[in-house]
Amino acid sequence: MGAVWILIEPICHLLIFSLLYTMIRGRTISGVEYPVFVLVGMAPFLLYRNTALRLMDSLRENRSLFGYKQIKPLDTYIARVIVEACISGLVYALIVFGFAWWGFDMSINNPLMWFMTLALGLLFAFSLGMVLALITHALPSLKLVIRMVFFPLYFISGVLIPAAYLPHALMPILLLNPFLHLTELIRGEVLPHYAMVDGISIGYVTGFTLVLLFISLGSYRARRLHLISTKNG
Amino acid sequence: MFELRNVTKSYLTPKGRRYVFRNLSLAIPPGKNIGLIGRNGAGKSTLMRLLGGADVPDSGTIVTDRSISWPVGLTGGFQGSMSGRDNIKFVCRVYGAEGEAMREKIRFVQEFAEIGTWIDEPIKTYSSGMRSRVAFGLSMAFDFDYYLIDEVMSVGDAQFKRKCRKIFREKLKTSNVVLVSHSMSEISKLCDIVLLVKDGEIEIYEDVIEGIKAYSA
Repeated sequence: MGAVWILIEPICHLLIFSLLYTMIRGRTISGVEYPVFVLVGMAPFLLYRNTALRLMDSLRENRSLFGYKQIKPLDTYIARVIVEACISGLVYALIVFGFAWWGFDMSINNPLMWFMTLALGLLFAFSLGMVLALITHALPSLKLVIRMVFFPLYFISGVLIPAAYLPHALMPILLLNPFLHLTELIRGEVLPHYAMVDGISIGYVTGFTLVLLFISLGSYRARRLHLISTKNG
Repeated sequence: MFELRNVTKSYLTPKGRRYVFRNLSLAIPPGKNIGLIGRNGAGKSTLMRLLGGADVPDSGTIVTDRSISWPVGLTGGFQGSMSGRDNIKFVCRVYGAEGEAMREKIRFVQEFAEIGTWIDEPIKTYSSGMRSRVAFGLSMAFDFDYYLIDEVMSVGDAQFKRKCRKIFREKLKTSNVVLVSHSMSEISKLCDIVLLVKDGEIEIYEDVIEGIKAYSA
């Protein structure tokens, strides 16, 4: 059942929003069919969200493996990222082939940059997930709050609509969110005629990721002995 | 041999920090089979995990020049949703047994634990007896100077206990054991030296009978 759900979840999201959107505004956006438009941004976003959230549980799930002194908490984090990336990649490939078979144009405008941005996003999600995992290890009750915060992120990260449709007055604040940059960049690289909003920059995401990675690895280093200690978290 | 120098170990619980050991220093002579005894919650398993390097002290150092197994306990170092075979493979890879060596070890564990085709079922479907048989068999498949055995033998049936003692006698010719047990007959049969863990202190008894007496008192 769990295996089926990982395939059904993104398809459900796609179907529901495609239906809603076609009813409200018509079928195309930036010259492409709406389902294609959503899939391109949503699949990476779901991957990043799942990665960041699942890292919070990886310590608890793999507790019994720390009996082998060779295995460190960092290994379980990295393993989780690899697993999530493989699953998402597979699901994405399946849906893309399905769409192409259905008759949508699934070509990628700038594949190398697209792949780079995806990898950068994954690194960002990994750093974020590790920071969240370290925070929730110290304060387990925050887990619920963090999960809830990810829900509005879905809407302000431009997953369902182009960032240009978001309120302009709020743009300076919305642009602080690296997820918005990532979805916009990824769309810009896949769709040939997509116009990104002003202020989207890969430099910002890279900088944010490096700082976050530094913080996460640094605090991991400081907390690593607490993490394997059995009675907490 | 093991040497503990100024070891302090505490755990953070929701109600605050609880100390298991404070500034503990002791030396355990080499080449002995060590029995750890003490009441529930005295810190036997913690001491064993510290000796095995699976847990680290807050301060102080633990020195040894021997290879030490992972702590073989009832809960076992297993990932519940993976099959027994996958778990065995995982541990084999962690300890560098690949290819033919790995297949050999899987065969050994399967035969020793007498689980037959259950080996391909997820570990979480195993009974506690089966799980401890796999855990014990798996540790016996590898060569260590010290085996850390945490009450694993006490859950098995009589036949399995006999089997354990037999393979133990074989292993103990070249290796040693650190044994946590509440069964005093097992301790007196297998161990040469007894560590009584009590109120955050450890008393060493070179004479096993005397140690057991001190524990029962």
